[in-house]
Parts: sequence; C-alpha cells; structure tokens
Amino acid sequence: MKPKRFTATLGLVLGCAALAHSAELHVTVKDHKGKNIEDAVVLAVPVDPRNAQRFRPPQDAVDQVDKQFVPYVKPVFVGSTVRFPNSDNIRHQVYSFSPAKKFELPLYGGTNAPPVIFDKPGVVVLGCNIHDWMIGYIYVSETPFFAKTGPLGTASITDIPPGDYIVRIWHPNMDRAEETTSRQVALGAEPVASAEWQLGLKAGIRVRRVSGAASPSYP
Amino acid sequence: MRPIRASLSALLVFCAATHTARSDWILAASAALNHDNNVGNAENTASMVADSRAEANVSLLRQMPFGDGFSLTAGGDLSGQLYDHLSGLNNASIDGMLALKKKWGLGAFAPWSRVGISVGRVEYDDRYRDATLYSAALEAGKRLNERWNFWAKYAFELRSAAPAESDIYGVSSDVFSQRGQSFKVGVQYSLSERMSLSFGSLWRYGDVISTTQPGADIFANSKAVAPDPTFGPDAYAYRLAGTTIGGRLGLEYSLTAHSLIGFGFQRLDTHARGGNNYGDSMPELTWNYQF
Repeated sequence: MKPKRFTATLGLVLGCAALAHSAELHVTVKDHKGKNIEDAVVLAVPVDPRNAQRFRPPQDAVDQVDKQFVPYVKPVFVGSTVRFPNSDNIRHQVYSFSPAKKFELPLYGGTNAPPVIFDKPGVVVLGCNIHDWMIGYIYVSETPFFAKTGPLGTASITDIPPGDYIVRIWHPNMDRAEETTSRQVALGAEPVASAEWQLGLKAGIRVRRVSGAASPSYP
Repeated sequence: MRPIRASLSALLVFCAATHTARSDWILAASAALNHDNNVGNAENTASMVADSRAEANVSLLRQMPFGDGFSLTAGGDLSGQLYDHLSGLNNASIDGMLALKKKWGLGAFAPWSRVGISVGRVEYDDRYRDATLYSAALEAGKRLNERWNFWAKYAFELRSAAPAESDIYGVSSDVFSQRGQSFKVGVQYSLSERMSLSFGSLWRYGDVISTTQPGADIFANSKAVAPDPTFGPDAYAYRLAGTTIGGRLGLEYSLTAHSLIGFGFQRLDTHARGGNNYGDSMPELTWNYQF
C-alpha cells in the first residue's frame, strides 16, 4: 500500500471510529398537561470544553414568508453568520434590540440584506418595523450541540462526543428561567440516550395581524 | 349607482396598474350585524324606530414604506348596509383614502402618528340621502407593551348632499349635508393570546340629523328641515347642531392569525340645540379578516 493511500485509509478508519463512539441524545419536551411543545431549543453543554473545540460556526438563514419569520425559532452556534432573505414580494425592515445582538437591516427586498454575525450567546428577538406582528427568535448557543423540537415535541442531537453534559431547555414562552431546566447527563455509555422535560408555558401574547372594530383605522 | 360603478372601475384600474410594484398590498374584509334602538335619532320614545342591519366591507390598501419610519397608504373601501325593515336606508358606498404615517422610532412599541384624507360616495335606496363624504384625520398611538395599546384620533368630516325636495317655504331643505369634528380615544388590552378587550370613547361636535314627528321646538332650532319618508309619511328630518358623547366596549377573539370575531356595545348620547336630546344603543357582532 502506498503511503498516501495508507494515510487516507487510516484517517477514514479513525473518523469512522470517532463516529462509532459518538453519542446521540433524544429529548422530548411536554407541558404539564402532557402536550407536546414545539420550538423548544435543547442544548447540551459539554462539561469538558475540549469536546466543543473542533466545531466551526456555520452559515444560517432566517427567511420572511407571508409576513412571518421562518422559522419562528432558530438556534445557531455562537459566531454563526445568519442571512435574512426576504421571500415576500414586499420590503421588510428587520431589527433586534436584544443585548445579545442589536442590529437593524434597513428596508430591503429579496436577498439584498447583508448577513449578520451572532457573536454573543443569548436570545435575540427579531422584529419588523413595518409589520409589528412579525416576531422571531434566534437562540445563540454557546455549545455546538443543540436541536429544536418539532410538532411532536421531540428533538435529537447527534454526533456528540462521549462525556458529561449539562442539558437545558429554552422556549420563548417558558414560565421559568432557562437555568432551572439544567440536568447533568452522561453520554457515551449507550449509543443513544433519551430524556424528557416538562415545561410550563405562559400565554404568548403578541401583536395581532388583524385590526378589529376597535383598532385605529388603517395599518 | 353609476358613480359607484365608475369609482369601482377606477379603483380596479389603480390596483392593476400598480400590481407589480414591491409594496405591501393589504386586502381586508369585515362584516357586522348590529341593532340600533334609535336609527332616526329621535328624542321622544314614540318617534324612536329600532332596526337591525347587516354590514359588509372590503378594503384594498397599498402600503408603501419609504424609510425613516415613513409610510404612505393609499387605497379604497367598498361597503354596504342592509336594514331589516328600513329598506330605504340600504346603501352602498365607496371611498378612496391617502394617509401618511410616521413611526417615531424602531419596533412595535414606538409611538406613531398619521395624517390622512378620504373621499367617498354613499348611495341609498331612498336616493335623497345620497351624499359625497370628505374627511381629514390626524391620529396618534402607542403600544405600551404586548398587552396595552392606546390611540387617539381627531377627524373633520364633511358630508355633501343635494337639498331634498321640501314643501316648507323659507326653510333650507339641505338636511343631509353635514359637517362635524370628532375626537376619539381608544385602548385595547390583551386578556390572553387570542382574546382582547377594548374601550373607545367619542366626543363629536357638529351637525346631527334627527328624524321625528314635526314639533315646534325642534323646528325652531333646526338649520334645515325636509320630509323623510324612509321613516314614514309624517316623518321629518331636522339638521341640528349638537354634541355627541359616547363609548364603545368590545371583546374580540382571534379565530386564526388572519381573522377575528368580536362583540361590542356602543352607547351614544347627543345634546342638540334647543334641548333636543337623544340617545342610541347599539350591540353588534363583528368579523374581520385580513389576508
């Protein structure tokens, strides 16, 4: 075997071995009545920070469709660059006042808006200055191991290096502090670990899209 | 209804001509069922006529934001009202509006103000009420947080109608032309994700029309008088100067992100010149849809 081919094969074998040893975490999030909670962000923070070092922040996007942010909740790794394409045939003016990232994209249509780098962990609340009912969330995670629950209230984080992790949950309407959801979980003993969380949600009162009989006359 | 048809055509041409532009089209529809215990604004109980009516409205607006918090809204409304008994009051109307809005800051909680004008035409089954409507308004508002929303509106309204046929010599019969100014304030409180409570209050000064049986007091204080056969062969409409104070309490429920239903109760009390005072109570069911 030639040395180059040997090196490549060895790399592949080691890579496969690393994957074979990686863990998977399945999480289910429900409310106190047992109803599935969608759009909850599940985060697994490694107790040993070296487990997160090899990851690089990717590029992400939050679209605007039918005067709504899509997706409604978008978890990203800290340092990620997020584009805000506008799929509507109208212009939007996206902004955030959140301490984790303050920014404003002046009125634009299509894909003209410059990308935004989210370089500080935390919750970033998105709005549109033209359409007050538009609201969206970017959760900037300090860990690369995260996922978001779907309509069934489930989320899976894959390819996690074995080790101890602090797992916690965040949701835009949760009725308690995110830190109170923390649990330490040891991953790697079994290839797949499962856990379930119960969250209380408060009423998600938002600005309404429709003007009623008692509202000011025009938008 | 020829002017209404012409205006409708003009509105459709306007919409079609600007369809390709990148601006926000807002198509909205609403409907209401309500009951008025004193449709003719009569003072004495014997002359009061109660009736129920169904209303429908379609609006097509084009919102054009152009930076620095400014946006221009232009468009029009088509509306109709059908009365259960007083069929002469059945009407169709069309209006066009232009408004300039300024948002004083960024975000949903920034205060805003708006100046707007509108011109409309309303045509009744009993044609002598037909009128052209003009209004200019100044509005301002602020949302304090997700629950509380406040707004206020000042409006000047002018209604121009042809003088009615009259058999009263020496007295103006231009009874359906009116002018007035009003001030409204409103507050809305979100009770939950889907339900909200609202309260609006109105002060209006200007011409009012009261249809009642002939009387010396009201005749002496009227600016114009004309027969009003919509309310019966002996009914007369009187145009008076008056002040109206009222309020509306409403409860609304969001059916979907695009639609809501509501129940409201409105009470208006008018103090007209010469002590001709009357009141109106109006419960209503409403439905609103916005695309």
